[in-house]
Amino acid sequence: MNSHNWTRRDFGRLAALGLAAARTAQPQAAPITARQVVERIKKNIGVPWRNHTCDTFKWGDPDAPITGITCTFMSTLSLLQRSAAAGNSFIISHEPTFWSADDVASDLRDDPLFEHKMDFIDKNRLVVFRFHDHWHARRPDGIATGWNRRMGWDQYQSKEQRGVYVIPETTLGALAKEMQAKLNVRSARMVGDPGLKVTRVASGGHYIAQCMAAAQNADVVLAGESREWETAEYIRDAVASGQKKGLLLLPHEGGEEAGMEECAQWLRPFVPEVPIKFIESGDPFWIPA
Amino acid sequence: MTAEQLILRMMKNAGVPWQSQRADGFDDGIHMGDNDTVVSGIVTTFIPTLDVLRRAVASGKNTIICRETPFYSRGERAPLFWRNGSPPPPELMDKDATVKAKREFIAANKLVIVKLFDNWDARKTDGQLRALAMALGWDKYHLARKGGKDVYRPGNEYFSLPKMSLGQLAKDLQGKLKTRGIRVIGDPQSQVSKAALTHGFLLVADVQRVMKEPGVDLFAGGEPVEWEASEYLEDLVAAKMIKGAILLGNQASEEPGSREVAAWLKTFVTEVPVEWIPAGEPFWTVS
Repeated sequence: MNSHNWTRRDFGRLAALGLAAARTAQPQAAPITARQVVERIKKNIGVPWRNHTCDTFKWGDPDAPITGITCTFMSTLSLLQRSAAAGNSFIISHEPTFWSADDVASDLRDDPLFEHKMDFIDKNRLVVFRFHDHWHARRPDGIATGWNRRMGWDQYQSKEQRGVYVIPETTLGALAKEMQAKLNVRSARMVGDPGLKVTRVASGGHYIAQCMAAAQNADVVLAGESREWETAEYIRDAVASGQKKGLLLLPHEGGEEAGMEECAQWLRPFVPEVPIKFIESGDPFWIPA
Repeated sequence: MTAEQLILRMMKNAGVPWQSQRADGFDDGIHMGDNDTVVSGIVTTFIPTLDVLRRAVASGKNTIICRETPFYSRGERAPLFWRNGSPPPPELMDKDATVKAKREFIAANKLVIVKLFDNWDARKTDGQLRALAMALGWDKYHLARKGGKDVYRPGNEYFSLPKMSLGQLAKDLQGKLKTRGIRVIGDPQSQVSKAALTHGFLLVADVQRVMKEPGVDLFAGGEPVEWEASEYLEDLVAAKMIKGAILLGNQASEEPGSREVAAWLKTFVTEVPVEWIPAGEPFWTVS
């Protein structure tokens, strides 16, 4: 660690916290900063902004002029590289940058990967903001809205039960294929009979309590990442006990990426100054055939 | 031998001070059934699925020793925080048809379900890792093989493999573990040779630990949290710090260890049969 890095790193952290000294306005600069975009998000989101939230700047200078905006599921290094190549310096990411829910950078002092990712952000003058809690809190939930639109499932939403879809009859195998294609994912994992007849699909979230509740009145539980000793094993036992049930377990990305395409569309009317692009961070996994 | 006597014998043979009911969630011991039940036979497995329980009963064995719990939750184990959920509330459990069927089967057959996780992992030899390495055919490639007596001391987790492509290797492991849902990060064409191997639930700290070893170009492990270790591995690949990562799945990475548990039990349980019944992989996939 040299002192140059520490200075730069401390600046990055201060900037992220909004404590860096305000910059003198440069007359030739682009007309908008990341902080100004976030102010507009707060004004338009339609729910009160929370005091305790992970929706904060993670790295970079929020007061520098931005060149364009990328909306994505997760600010992976690969995504940051692609955003920089596309000419967008402001990344709005649904999930963490530094590998934990709170992006705790203090634990990462001697981590070479942290150093690498931070350097990439600095060198390319990027700024990263997380947009998770409030995009979910919006009514209707921004992530669900985008996902429904991508799947074409808006019309199938049950009026009685939130998160339940009544779809034209299909099988679990056919549904899995259709979903992989529409969501552009490769690593969905299923439990149950591929020939299972499906009309009721219930979105269960990540955890067993919600998934068990969802399973009560559905043929298939849909989850975007769930611990493997929880819902997968529950549905396996449900099938073994003679019930006609199935699980469609998407990668986390497949459950939420389309919601950030929605975010890009939502931003455009009130951030007209810069180009806004949805760039998929993408399914991280592939499965050997 | 009663179930309680079996536990006492396990405690005596663990080789480390037995810990239970700790504040951070250690909960090894009898989870279901009576202490006084006479053990008719022992089945070891990763997770006591309904199918495993039926096979145990069919083979005349009433005691199941497992790593994961029968009712789909690790409870409030501290190291998990929000990465897993709270168990379902009792009202939901009581009306759920699957839970009901499983509880009834356990009661009707007077089964005893014993969890063995933390104390097994606290032993000086990592039985889970050794068994997994054997199952993968990697034992002969263990880097500590030349030097030490016990190569599977925790921390010895590096293997020098014959050079091959990530795609070939993933396919090979899929076959060896008989598991479909192996998930891979990285270019299938890239050549890998020095592997770090871990098992089970995977946190960022685990990846950071193994990455301190120079020259590792492949990470293989069990189940990552997708906004944590999975992103970290993806970033390691994008930063060209490793070539690839192979996520075997929690069950696939831990099941060979249940066979090791059976072998260990046989060294001090001779009056009843002990059998390993793998739960198998829950998943199937489409391409």
